[in-house]
Formats: sequence, C-alpha cells, structure tokens
Amino acid sequence: MLFSLRELVQWLGFATFELFLHLGALLVFSVLVALHMDLDKQTLEMSWWIVFSPLFAADGLSTYFTAIVSIRLYQEGEKRLAVLRLLWVLTVLSLKLVCEVLLCQKLAEQDQAHDLWFGLIVSPLFILLQLLMIRACRVN
Amino acid sequence: MNMSLAQRVLLTWIFTLIFLIMLVLKLDEKINWSWFLIFLPVWTFDLILLLMLIVKMAGRCKPGFDPRNGTENLKKRAWYLVAMLLKLAFCLTLCAKLERLMDILVSSVCIPLWALLIGAMVELGYNVFHFRRD
Repeated sequence: MLFSLRELVQWLGFATFELFLHLGALLVFSVLVALHMDLDKQTLEMSWWIVFSPLFAADGLSTYFTAIVSIRLYQEGEKRLAVLRLLWVLTVLSLKLVCEVLLCQKLAEQDQAHDLWFGLIVSPLFILLQLLMIRACRVN
Repeated sequence: MNMSLAQRVLLTWIFTLIFLIMLVLKLDEKINWSWFLIFLPVWTFDLILLLMLIVKMAGRCKPGFDPRNGTENLKKRAWYLVAMLLKLAFCLTLCAKLERLMDILVSSVCIPLWALLIGAMVELGYNVFHFRRD
C-alpha cells in the first residue's frame, strides 16, 4: 500500500517467506488471544505462555531459515552479505523476542510483576524503531 | 503525490513512535485519556493513507489516463481500500471494547483483523509462489 513488497523486503531485511511466516503466527496468536479472553477457565485452561507460543515458534523458524540462507551465502563466497544479514535478522528477532517474553511474563504473573512496567516491556521496540530508521536511510 | 522511500518511512516511523509513547503512558496509568484519543496517531495515519489511495484511484478519471494494466491496478487498489477499512473497523471496535461502550466478545473485535491477515497472507503467498514459478 504505502510500501511495495520489494521495498519492505529491502527495508526490513526479511525474505517474503519470513514475512509470510510472521503474519501466519500473528493470525494464530490473535485467535488464541480471543479464545483465552472469551472462554471461561473451566472450558479451556490455557496459560499466556501457550497463547504466545506461535510468536515464539515463528521467531525460532525465522532464525533457522536465516541461518540456512546465511550459510549458503557464505558457501557461495558472499561472506560480507552473509554475516551482515545474520547479524541484522538476529538483532531484530532478539529484540522482538525480549518484548514478547516480557509482555507474556507481565500478563502471566500480574500479581508478582508489579515492577515490570509497560515502558520497560516496550523499550526493545523503541530500540528496534531507531534501528529501522537508520536502515531506511541506508537502503534509500 | 510520489514520495521517496525515506519520506514514507519517516511518516510511518513518526506515527508509530507517537502511538507507542501514548500507549505506554496509558498502560502505565500516567495519563487518563480516552482510548480513542490514544489511537489518534493511528486515525491520522489511516486518514492520510486513505486520502492518498482515493486521490490515486480518482486519477483514473483524468482524460490523459493510460488504461494499460488498468484492471490489475484497480483490483489492487480496491483490495488496499478494503484492507484499510478492515483495519479501521478493528481499531474502532477495539477502542469501543476498551472504553466499555459495547459489550462484545474479543472474537467479534478480532474478525476484521483476521480477514485482513488472511488477505495479506494470500497476497504474500501468491508472491512467494509467483516468484518461485518464475
């Protein structure tokens, strides 16, 4: 819409298949959130860690995919590109994972997690936004 | 209306940043604003996108319009318009739910989001398949 798919792939540094994977995980996650909120505890006992599992799985699969792509790029002699791609994707995925784990912990242990304020939970996303802006300047 | 990639990124970045800051302040109970006000950056951003889309679609009516690939482009634009409306519907029902204006299930709130995500996945899946076939 605002960006073409090619621009998005260039900017975010993820392959189209990885974007597809993350969208799928988001879809399953939203279904699980709706089930968790709507059904009472007797009908369906599901912890927040299970609700967040599609997102964790997508992160894991994306890391695996990136590792394979980077190894193949390295074997084909594109060493610099392989290392840069691996570093970028791992940085983005780890920031995303930290945010997800903190949010999940906050939701799962609401009584014990008073010190975990939302500013702290979202802070990896703020760092990610700065990194994305820097990358956009480079891509441009 | 043709913006460079940096301009479009900056536009998205600013609105996302403002929305995230307002969301965090609201969730940490530092401000006591209505959820509709917290979503103000989202409404503004959507309005800008809708205006840009409508202007581009209206450009077809100009006398000098080149009709090559016109149907394909129009289909794409129509899907973008539907996607924008689905996103707006999701945000509006979510705000109404959070403000307790409506007593509806979270599943009902999520229906526009699911339709949007499925549509986006179909489009992305088609792209993956299309490039592989080439």
